[in-house]
Amino acid sequence: MYFFIIVFLLYWNFFNKTIKLRNIFLLFSNCFFYAWWNWKFLFLLILNIVLVYVLGIKIEKAKNEKLKKIFLTIGLAQGLGTLFYCKYFNFFISSFIDVFGLKDNLPWTPLNIILPLGISFYTFRSIGYLLDVYNEKIEPEKNILIFANFVSFFPTIISGPIDKANKLIPQLKHISTFNYELAVKGTKQILWGLFKKMVIADGCSDYVNIVFNNSASLPSSSLWIGLFYYTIQIYMDFSGYSDIAIGVSKLLGFRVARNFNYPYFSQNIADYWKRWHISLTSWLTEYIFTPISIELRDWGNKAVILGIILTFLSSGLWHGANWTFVLWGLLNGLYFIPLIIAGKMNKKKKFNSNNFFPTPKEFFSMLSTFLLVMITNVFFRADSVKLAFVYLKGLFSYSIFKYPTTGFDFLMLFLILITMIFEWSQKDKEFALESLNIKYKPIRWGIYMILFFSLFQFFDQPEREFIYFKF
Amino acid sequence: MERSDILIKLQDIFINILDNEGIELLENTTANDIEEWDSLTHIQLIVEIEKEFFIRFNSKEIRKWNNIGEMIDSILEKIKK
Repeated sequence: MYFFIIVFLLYWNFFNKTIKLRNIFLLFSNCFFYAWWNWKFLFLLILNIVLVYVLGIKIEKAKNEKLKKIFLTIGLAQGLGTLFYCKYFNFFISSFIDVFGLKDNLPWTPLNIILPLGISFYTFRSIGYLLDVYNEKIEPEKNILIFANFVSFFPTIISGPIDKANKLIPQLKHISTFNYELAVKGTKQILWGLFKKMVIADGCSDYVNIVFNNSASLPSSSLWIGLFYYTIQIYMDFSGYSDIAIGVSKLLGFRVARNFNYPYFSQNIADYWKRWHISLTSWLTEYIFTPISIELRDWGNKAVILGIILTFLSSGLWHGANWTFVLWGLLNGLYFIPLIIAGKMNKKKKFNSNNFFPTPKEFFSMLSTFLLVMITNVFFRADSVKLAFVYLKGLFSYSIFKYPTTGFDFLMLFLILITMIFEWSQKDKEFALESLNIKYKPIRWGIYMILFFSLFQFFDQPEREFIYFKF
Repeated sequence: MERSDILIKLQDIFINILDNEGIELLENTTANDIEEWDSLTHIQLIVEIEKEFFIRFNSKEIRKWNNIGEMIDSILEKIKK
């Protein structure tokens, strides 16, 4: 927080004079920010930047297709290799141990590799850049200062949004003048993000932890409430983080990719995935789904189904090295099959905008999509596949008629309801607090103040990390 | 075949596949300009274009396109061969 205020003041007062000076300062801030979390991994980041920068230019200059492919492969191998090593090494070792029943007579202890912060995000950013250069979608960036800023841009390095090169790099080439309106929007977005994270997401977390840690002994009613709270928590947590990252970028005069578009108002699962973690979904669509489905285009629907399943399996693995994420991805992929067969996968869903209330059909579609998402979240949250199935079995049992032994937490339920209704009323805006349609100024400011002071209510609580930092 | 002929044929294909009578293609039209043109309809469009012109693109050619003009370049190149 203090870091950002200092950067913000220095940035606009001293360093925003020439592009070079601005970019040097920005890069310095990026490195400082990253080193703050863990300085050792800064070297890994720098190595990645230099290598990808050189490879980008090499790919362009290469005289023949074969050489281009070699440089691309080196880049992919480095990116995926590091990701694989840091993220999945333990997973494969432990799966291997399980499969061969080696657990009891293991001569060594499996090493525990710590995950470098943001590695999944900046690796995907770099890989996307190399593929774009290879496909001649963009020209490689010749200025290493600009390129380094693109990969390490501090507001988005830890947890996205995963920006595309052709969106962020051009902005780094211009000097921006302080845009008051954009800065106000950024501030509002940060406030809204903090509210979602600190008040709603963190407010849900105790209940969620209790339920998921005791899932075997709780009645179905408790499990449903816990799962509902988790589904709300993960949205408020991650979209709250994204709002903060986008808001901070706006304060510095940058526009980065949108990451959420009110996903819980989706009317089918395809619609949901266009609104949830948008920057990752677009990345996967562009670099995994589209190539597969184009390559196999003569197969018709089968190619699309295969493409979707493989895309979601990759998405699952990207989230983490655990079979729970693989099953989570698979389940999401399977959800698409009826839509693909019915030819409804990409039909645009629009709300009847004349009316505040959704039609019964819209409401039913939203509710059923939300339920489908809730079920996938059992796998997303559970510590192991076994526990996930225990949880699922518990959900669908007669104990749903029993009083939930964990209670309801009515205050939280009320806050969630108010927040969701507010978001619903603002669903055509970029984020819910963007422009309140209230003419009377004191009321508008009253709302900002209530949100702001509600944050302090929760300041003395133990600090909780954002869920997506671990990915 | 002239560029303009190809453009007219493309327009028919787009209207047909995307089910939108209002589509007017220009050389610099991109996927961002047409709401229905997304990752999935893109594939259907390619399949239809290949059928119409009796050609076959490879994946790299397809990936390179940034707008309708570049699509026409590719098509012209293929039919000349």
